[in-house]
Amino acid sequence: MKKRLSSYIGALVAGAALLTVTACGGGATASSQPGEASTITIEHAQGSTTNVPVNPAKVVTFDLGVLDTMNALGVEPTGVPEASYPEALKKFSEAKYAKVGSLKEPDFEAVSSAAPDLIIVSGRTAGAYEELSKIAPTIDLSVDAAKPMESFKAQTEKLGKIFKKEDEVASKLAEVDKTVADTKAKAASAGKGLIVLTSGGEVTAYGAGSRFGIIHDVLGVPTAADVKSEGSHGEAVSFEYIKETNPDILYVINRDTAIGTASSTANPILDNELVKSTNAAKNNKIVNLDPAGWYIVGYGLNNVQAMVTAVADSVA
Amino acid sequence: MTTTAVRPTAAASRNRTGETARLVAAAAVVVVIAVGSIFVGVSDVSLPALVANDAGAWEIFWVSRVPRTVAVVLAGMAVAVAGLIMQLMARNRFVEPSTVGTVESATLGILVVTVLAPDSPILTKMLVASVFAVLGTALFLAILRRLPARNTLLIPLVGIMLGGIIAAVTTFFAYRFDLLQTLSNWMIGDFSGVLRGRYELLWIVAVLVLVGLFAADRFTVAGMGQDFTTNLGLNYARTMRLGLMIVSLISAVVVTTVGAVPFLGLVVPNIVSLLFGDNLRRAVPWTALFGAAFVLLCDIIGRTIRFPYEVPVGMVMSVLGAILFLFLLLRKRNA
Repeated sequence: MKKRLSSYIGALVAGAALLTVTACGGGATASSQPGEASTITIEHAQGSTTNVPVNPAKVVTFDLGVLDTMNALGVEPTGVPEASYPEALKKFSEAKYAKVGSLKEPDFEAVSSAAPDLIIVSGRTAGAYEELSKIAPTIDLSVDAAKPMESFKAQTEKLGKIFKKEDEVASKLAEVDKTVADTKAKAASAGKGLIVLTSGGEVTAYGAGSRFGIIHDVLGVPTAADVKSEGSHGEAVSFEYIKETNPDILYVINRDTAIGTASSTANPILDNELVKSTNAAKNNKIVNLDPAGWYIVGYGLNNVQAMVTAVADSVA
Repeated sequence: MTTTAVRPTAAASRNRTGETARLVAAAAVVVVIAVGSIFVGVSDVSLPALVANDAGAWEIFWVSRVPRTVAVVLAGMAVAVAGLIMQLMARNRFVEPSTVGTVESATLGILVVTVLAPDSPILTKMLVASVFAVLGTALFLAILRRLPARNTLLIPLVGIMLGGIIAAVTTFFAYRFDLLQTLSNWMIGDFSGVLRGRYELLWIVAVLVLVGLFAADRFTVAGMGQDFTTNLGLNYARTMRLGLMIVSLISAVVVTTVGAVPFLGLVVPNIVSLLFGDNLRRAVPWTALFGAAFVLLCDIIGRTIRFPYEVPVGMVMSVLGAILFLFLLLRKRNA
């Protein structure tokens, strides 16, 4: 009985929120051309949301990749997560962007008082989808790790549709595609690569299909070792492992700089005899990938271009 | 927990030669395990290769294998002995540095340096961690003195609460500064990063263990309480300070070099006590040997269970330690 009552109240609140939102949406479309739908349906990772407003005035996003895409398209968000923003997204740490929680935990009160027209969640905040849906139309733009590029393009096209920037999205995605194709052509013969993340004195290796796997899966860099990492956290390895896999290119993501603990770009963890004995070190092919871009931002329109370009440079 | 002999009795001195022989035998076993540990790893280092004077094998041997094994032995001995001394000072079998706030304080110290001066050398980090560890442990001991009754359960509970509060502060700041995952690197001991040039500061704990060995009798006496200690002509405050320094420094050095090694300080001294009774002069070497052997075995398991990848030694240790401890407790109950 109690449960039924609470779900009834929940439905009521959701209904009320929905009414307010459609009312707002209606007001916004008054100025746009007649006959154009004010809301569209977006299919996403957790179903489909039917009442996504076109050109929403107030957008809250919890995903820095989405934020990066919005930034690339010149769309201003209302609410963003509290995070240590990398250089490219530095301006979003300013107070004029409402802080609506962390990268992982939405602050529901802050979201609610930002009165958004659209909320965008992703992998780290996907669990809050149900709750956030009660505040405003919410879509989950998580990128599917199994087919990252297709998924990223599909998500970005959805954003293009929502913000009426389809042409810009198409041309930027074409640019990414071109860099990917160029990289792929060179990568096959550029030698085998190994991806490692360093943090607090320890090393974790990532293989194909992992969170950094696009280097192998999409860009075609051959793997130096068959790292079977399940989930997003890679495999703890010793320096002997790096020596024995002997990669021609060693891709390094230094997590300690992603979170601002080490200011120098040199990586003291990998500065040792065993790593120096690899082909990668001998040929000066230890590639420091931008940790914030790879680890925190991920799939955003500008950022993916930057990520792909970094790998393209390494195989040039 | 049978006889508490400060000075060796006649029976004990008769047993002394047998005791020494057994200690030597145990040390030999530890050496055998250590040698085994040297030959476990991703690169090919085999006895024939070493005999054939293979330069590559010898390089791995000196750069990677020997340092790792030495680090494991040092950390294992020191953390176990620190647990033993902590238990004597608190007069309680159920405390160890990682349950009374010492390790938590050291971690907080590293976090503070990491936030304020991220590029500072490891020695600075270690110094700050040591200062924090000393303060945290002193706080625990001060609270203990004010506890109304020496309740067996109250002491570990107070320790756990104090440790919890310090850990909560640490977690809060780690969260604010996006350092939660780095924090977990310090909290879970792991020897995978140990190489020549990266563990040498651990030799400090070897010195501390030796000091602990020579001061062993004093801690046994101090464990009896202030009045008793003073009656025997020992400076109680000074002895407690010495113990405090040894425990705190060992914890700080180990946390900064390889990360926290949980459970060891609790399990090993209790196992030794169950097997050999409470004579500290005997207990210190046995505790050191057991600690070294236990961490060596756990590290070998951690390196082989998912070969060529590694499982942090802290994880292996928690599982094995719990099983071992339960087994010993139940066996004693039945006997």
